[in-house]
Amino acid sequence: MKLQNFFKLLFFLLFFLLSLNSVAKESTEDRVKKLTLELRCMTCQNQSVSDSDSDFAKDISKIVEEKFKDGLSEKEIKIFLTDRYGEYILLNPYFNSKNLLLWLFPFVLVIASMFVFFKKIKKK
Amino acid sequence: MEKRLQMISLIGFFALCFSTIFSFTLLIPVSIFKINIKYFILIFRLSTFLVCISFISLIFAYVSSDFTNFNVFQNSHSDKPLIYKITGAWGNHEGSILLWICMISLYGFFYSLISKSANEFKILVLKFQSALFIIFALFIILTSNPFLVNSVFVEEGLGLNPILQDPALAIHPPMLYLGYVGFSLVFSLAIASLFRNNLDQDWINEARTWSMISWGFLTAGIALGSYWAYYELGWGGWWFWDPVENISLMPWIAGLALVHSLLMIRGEQAIEKWIVFLAILCFSLSILGTFLVRSGILTSVHSFASDASRGLFILLIFFLTTGFGFLIFLIKTPSKKDDLHLLLINKTSALIINNILMMITVFTILLGTIYPIIIEVLTNKRISVGGPYFNSTVLPILLPGFLLMSIAPVLSWKTNQIKKFRIYVICFLILSLIVSLQSYFTSFNTWGFIGLILGSWIIIASIISIMIRHRFSFTIKYITSINSFIAHIGVGVMIIGVTFSSIYQKEYNFNIEVGDKVSLENEILKFNDMQIIEEKNYQSLKANISIKKKNGNIIYIKPGKNYYPVSKMITTEAGIYHDWFKDIYITLGSENNNIWFIRVLINPLVSFIWLGVIIMVFSSAIAVIKK
Amino acid sequence: MKKIVLILPLILLTIICLFFLLFILLEKNPNEPPSALLYKDLPTFTSNNLYNKNINLGSNDLKEKYTLINFFASWCTPCRVEHHFFFEIKKENPDLFILGLAHKDDPNDSKKYLEEEGNPYSFVGLDQDGKIAFEFGVFGLPETFIVNSDGKIIFKHTGPLTKEIIKNEITKLF
Repeated sequence: MKLQNFFKLLFFLLFFLLSLNSVAKESTEDRVKKLTLELRCMTCQNQSVSDSDSDFAKDISKIVEEKFKDGLSEKEIKIFLTDRYGEYILLNPYFNSKNLLLWLFPFVLVIASMFVFFKKIKKK
Repeated sequence: MEKRLQMISLIGFFALCFSTIFSFTLLIPVSIFKINIKYFILIFRLSTFLVCISFISLIFAYVSSDFTNFNVFQNSHSDKPLIYKITGAWGNHEGSILLWICMISLYGFFYSLISKSANEFKILVLKFQSALFIIFALFIILTSNPFLVNSVFVEEGLGLNPILQDPALAIHPPMLYLGYVGFSLVFSLAIASLFRNNLDQDWINEARTWSMISWGFLTAGIALGSYWAYYELGWGGWWFWDPVENISLMPWIAGLALVHSLLMIRGEQAIEKWIVFLAILCFSLSILGTFLVRSGILTSVHSFASDASRGLFILLIFFLTTGFGFLIFLIKTPSKKDDLHLLLINKTSALIINNILMMITVFTILLGTIYPIIIEVLTNKRISVGGPYFNSTVLPILLPGFLLMSIAPVLSWKTNQIKKFRIYVICFLILSLIVSLQSYFTSFNTWGFIGLILGSWIIIASIISIMIRHRFSFTIKYITSINSFIAHIGVGVMIIGVTFSSIYQKEYNFNIEVGDKVSLENEILKFNDMQIIEEKNYQSLKANISIKKKNGNIIYIKPGKNYYPVSKMITTEAGIYHDWFKDIYITLGSENNNIWFIRVLINPLVSFIWLGVIIMVFSSAIAVIKK
Repeated sequence: MKKIVLILPLILLTIICLFFLLFILLEKNPNEPPSALLYKDLPTFTSNNLYNKNINLGSNDLKEKYTLINFFASWCTPCRVEHHFFFEIKKENPDLFILGLAHKDDPNDSKKYLEEEGNPYSFVGLDQDGKIAFEFGVFGLPETFIVNSDGKIIFKHTGPLTKEIIKNEITKLF
């Protein structure tokens, strides 16, 4: 096997695996844990709600759990929280026009540098 | 007594001033006053000696609890153990910057001892080093003098932040600074190389040694900080993508790119130019780190006292130094001869891919760290950019780099081929089969699968390469020749540790009373009793918890809380049971009617992370020895 | 083209430094994020009176007048520090409706606190479970809001009020 083909195969395998994120139904507890990991504990120093045992964090966890039980989706809960506390509470910022640069920058950089690199190699 | 003590501060301050003045004399252009190389170096060393005196007198002021010194009064207490009196000297803003300039000078000093460069080049490097020294020395003298005399007479100091009263955190700042500041010398070397007349590349060898040393210290410093965060913060993690952590990671990654480029260069001018750029970038990221931390404009776990005027001053230093570096780079850089030997997969292209990926990572982290500041200035809204963002951007970018790393050292310079490539392919297939089976029978997790396969593949590929290419012998030469593989094995070990400890971490929460037993993964956890221990500088409340293992052995874990009366602060002390395969990590929460909340985390393979770091630091030490 | 690539680091550096400079000069406080509720509508809530459980006050009752809302608690030390300022504010703006909300506090403790420190509030409401505070995005006591006659929040402050804040920011609003 040629080295190049080997690498192609490897990358294919990796991207396949990455796209294969499990879609299994999660329990409320898991969903609470997952969401609270993405929420900032506003009274702590750079700690997520899930990691903290401050009063604020406990209240927020409770509210998140209630909202999940009421049937709200993760996105709706996030909107509910940001209406009150601002986007500051989200450790994972929204993908919106304001944060476009933040989210696109790394991937644009990767694509641009790949483009330049392969052009260089072709030239040789 | 009093007078004698005040003398110490006075000596310290004057030593600092004279050291700065001596450094100034070194900057006098040759056209005005030609100085003999011998005297030049003598003056430089004298300046180093004086700044060391200055720092030692600060330590002495701390050790003797000299509260006539305002800095000591604010950050020390006579009840502290001796070790924390010493480390208290750099546990505050003023002292830490004094340590920083002390190191700038010391790096120059050792350079002047070791360097075999031509005299003119040596003088040039030391001149840049002195210029950096002067800039930071002025910063100390003008805005953060540690030798200010206390205006009122006091008997006792205010005490050191209890979070800092810890062995790992006591040596963490000097380690980190040895790393940051080491890049100042590489910076000076790179700038000086732009001014030299001929095109010889001798400076590359020196830059290689010094950047390797700095990178090794930086690695150790970051790891110590991270280890501290693991057991002291009590959150069960060891990396939080905290701004302060991010800004130490940026020079680390840039330094890593620099070290790789320096090791791989074989006279190509294009790469030399790139190295100069990286050297400038590394040091400016180090200053940026200092700026962001010291100005206090980022909220962080590691809270530091902040002051706007200091922030402005460091911002100015950052702008001038970095701007100067890039400006010289722009003006003086020789017109590039495109002399890269590129193939789709050969060593040069692997090096370039590796550098590109690392640079993208650095800029992504930089953007993520300062983006909230940009948004707040523009829209007056505040956003957070935290762990989830970095995990979802940085990790995918680094992934191909890790993959490449497994075989990069055995790639050839000239061709697309690898010797005995078939063995690698077969081993890889066997490995993926094993890992697939393993993840099929346990709970499948995409990132867990990728991490495990990458980590173990890096280790296995490196071992295969060592076995194929080098005959085993018990000599230093053997170790130096397989050093690059050793370093990569370290990374592989660390990847496995990181993957397991973050993805397969398990959390259990209990509300229990003294005497209660609960079951924990087939083992029995018992809450024995609660103790209060009086230490010299704090009171400690410790829960005595025992876990009875399946094989009958009993282990004791003592999580607790410490109360520091001087600063009226409570710190959590996680109780950790280490073994090679897992850590049992317990934190004590709040109490309600004698029922205690305890959080038990089972962190698998955490020891691999520290082991990986130790291997990497070891290998960088070997690389320094190897000439 | 080559030159542009080389100038790029300098441009980026300047931009970054500019933002830092602005951030410092605008005196942004890292520990006090701007409120999400500023210039938005007052959240809906109802609160029972501290002294008489049968009297309610809801957000609808606050229409068409300026209202100052202050979250306090007897266990909150900084609250005591700012407490006397409300008497001053009240003296200077007799028309202002000052609503105090006792956050996660035992009613008896709140009563005792107001006996000790005095009661500047036009109405003292209870927020024992913290639900109202949640609607207001409160995360650290004390917090103070000012609502205008249109029912919009026009001022918010986290932490104890100071003389400067009252002079420079609050007095301007009326």
